[in-house]
Amino acid sequence: MKKVDLSVEFCGIRFPNPFVLAAAPPTDDAEMIARGFDAGWGGAVVKTLGLEHVEVNLVSPMMAGLSYEDKGLIGLENIDLISDRDINEVLAEVSELKKSYPEQVLIVSMMAGSEKEWKEITRRVQAAGADMIECSFSCPHGMPEKGMGSAVGQDAGLTYERAKWVVEAAEIPVLIKLTPNVTDMRPIAQKVKEAGAAGVTAINTVKALLGFDLDTFSPVPSVNGKSTEGGFSGPAIKPIALRFVADVVKDVGIPVAGVGGVVTWQDSVEFLLAGAGIVEVCTAVMRYGFDIVEELTEGLALYLEDKGMSSPMELIGLGLPNIVSHESLSREYKAIASIDEDLCVGCGQCIVACRDGGHQAIGFRGRQEDGGLSDADDARIPEVDDEKCIGCGFCRTVCPVEACISMTPRED
Amino acid sequence: MTNTSTAHASLEETGRSYAPHEAVIEASRCLMCDDPPCNAGCPAGVDVRRFIRKIRFGNHRGAVRLIREANIMVGICGRVCPQEMLCMEHCTRTNLDTPIDIAGLQRFAGDIELASLAPLPDAAKDRPERVAVIGGGPAGVGAAVELRKRGVGVTIFEKSDVVGGVLTRGIPPFRLDQAFAAEELNYVERLGADVELEQTASEPAELLKKGFSAVFIGIGLGRPYTIGLEGEDLPGVHVASDLLTDIARGDRPDLGSRVVVIGGGNVAMDAAMAALRLGAERVDVCCLESYEEMPAFRSEIEEVQSEGIVFHPGTRPVRIVAEGNKVVGYEGVAIRWKEPGLLVPSNAVDVPGTKFSLAADGIIEAIGTGVLDRFEGVETDERGVVRTDPETMATSLPGVFAGGDVVSGGATAVRAYAEGKKAAEGIVAFLDSRGTEGGGR
Repeated sequence: MKKVDLSVEFCGIRFPNPFVLAAAPPTDDAEMIARGFDAGWGGAVVKTLGLEHVEVNLVSPMMAGLSYEDKGLIGLENIDLISDRDINEVLAEVSELKKSYPEQVLIVSMMAGSEKEWKEITRRVQAAGADMIECSFSCPHGMPEKGMGSAVGQDAGLTYERAKWVVEAAEIPVLIKLTPNVTDMRPIAQKVKEAGAAGVTAINTVKALLGFDLDTFSPVPSVNGKSTEGGFSGPAIKPIALRFVADVVKDVGIPVAGVGGVVTWQDSVEFLLAGAGIVEVCTAVMRYGFDIVEELTEGLALYLEDKGMSSPMELIGLGLPNIVSHESLSREYKAIASIDEDLCVGCGQCIVACRDGGHQAIGFRGRQEDGGLSDADDARIPEVDDEKCIGCGFCRTVCPVEACISMTPRED
Repeated sequence: MTNTSTAHASLEETGRSYAPHEAVIEASRCLMCDDPPCNAGCPAGVDVRRFIRKIRFGNHRGAVRLIREANIMVGICGRVCPQEMLCMEHCTRTNLDTPIDIAGLQRFAGDIELASLAPLPDAAKDRPERVAVIGGGPAGVGAAVELRKRGVGVTIFEKSDVVGGVLTRGIPPFRLDQAFAAEELNYVERLGADVELEQTASEPAELLKKGFSAVFIGIGLGRPYTIGLEGEDLPGVHVASDLLTDIARGDRPDLGSRVVVIGGGNVAMDAAMAALRLGAERVDVCCLESYEEMPAFRSEIEEVQSEGIVFHPGTRPVRIVAEGNKVVGYEGVAIRWKEPGLLVPSNAVDVPGTKFSLAADGIIEAIGTGVLDRFEGVETDERGVVRTDPETMATSLPGVFAGGDVVSGGATAVRAYAEGKKAAEGIVAFLDSRGTEGGGR
């Protein structure tokens, strides 16, 4: 068996493993980042810094969660801002951290306004010893009102101009963090590439209105009865993030740090398959703690071992050739739902789903003329009508049993 | 000697209800089966899947309404129904892991009901007829609710000082809080039924003559059987149903530190647990049936065992040992059945050399109850159990219907309620068939 080495090279920098703490509250101070590194994170993006004159006025509460049934925190919305700490203090911590953790990669996230400011902050971050820079062109709340954050990342011209300023001042690799709040990220990522940045970080949070308090009519999180649109993160946004990562890697051909909804090692493998070179995580860390990195690294290593691979880098982009246009999908291939009778518990959710969600192609074996069910032991086994099943696959998504319904090729 | 760990257990209701978010989590485990087996398990016809779906999607009050439409004993049945034998028995989720806690979800719904006092359904157009309901237990209440919903006037004659029958005067408070039960059952009055408490009704024939258009008999089983042992009339010997009624009324009798309960049914289990809670240090349960044959619900038997109560199944009482006026012990002997499956004293033979003695300050007899009152012209079997048409619940006396334990010989509260409902339909059909010829009141 090949020995697995989880280290990856991304934008010319060696990471002990591909798991990196995203720019967020968990990376707002050195003590927390140190605990993250001790737990096993391969790198960290220090929470976005601004220059001294930038006033950061936080509100509270600034977070609210979206839960679904018993799924806990399926999504998190925040109206937090960039770090409200003094940049000098943080950069001093960065220098110290780098000394204590020479192996781990320290990326500093930053945000500024004018060319002069961008260049100044770039030089200061660099001087502090950061390994990489990440520029936030993507925060969807608070900053756009001041012409920063996603106001930049939504405009290819502004993105090019600002990315160029930073690249000109930087001697270390520069990542530009882009916003998903655009119809297409590719033209913008293209400009990042043309500006000479090393890579793109995708995605920042999805602009959202999380919900309302039904008694006060205030949106949440309610700041004394009012709220504002915020940034949505967590497992709910993973499909959106995967799409943007794949788009950018495939069509722009620039390295991407993937971020958005990663909780498990399986999620991280998906980001690698979509072409990400490293994987950033925030919401899951806030929810479950730094220690989850153990499951990410161990799970990934065991998976690679199973696949006969020795490095996560072997996975990067493997899924991309399989993403094709709708037009070029096979029309010869026809699937049909196939139900494993031994696994079936007889609930009939597939029947309801097919009846009201599709094609009335599934029914209980014991259904009698009068509408009742027979007393036979197998009366509650669902049967698929070959004629009516169009192979849509919806039944498989509602079945509560793992691997009970599969979509198999039609034999006829 | 086994030390009972729960000697200080309280008589107060045990367990707690789900908080709303916990109820949603439990409801979200429901597979929302097509043709759900749980629904078929409810005697009262509660649409179980639908009420769980309502909770799952946050429509808690809708769930209360739906359950109450079929059964006003929402929180009561959530507490005392043997759901593991009814709706939960065939829960499909059992094939996956564990059944949905339907009882717990219904208890949750019942609590909302009392908290919110949901509005009454639109009253049906009042009909001219009035029906007399003899007995305000679950059967009588079930009949009265359904009759009121159909616009028929109802007068309930209840012997006790509160409606509910065994629910308020038989089941011990640690299983069901009496005040809660009474308040929930009070819904029948909110529907416009007249309730005459501490009233012994006249003969059904009399009531019909007095102008009632029909009569429903739901008197339950009011006469406890006794064994006939010498010393049964000593002060330390109690009849379980009377004792439980006293406890329900608020009495806290001193049964002594060692108590022997005779009987293997649910009432015996309740009496044994009550004895512990009244301060007994050791409680023994002796019954004719083998452990497997005991008629009590399995869940109750296991609960009793978990409290450290000692079982002596497959034994019969030999004598009560007394010193003067004071009970000091109990003697029993192991038995075997002459004929298998026939679980009656006359079929029992002593096993030689198996006699045993237990110290006892108090003895509780819980060997069952029979019919207390019989009514003129109403056909019964030899035990006084009323014969009815299973479709309409009509008795042999025209215009007189019956349901509940007095017909089944002893079953669950929910079944009694269901029979009351069924009788109400029979009564309405009877009233309709008479048209206007009979005298309304």
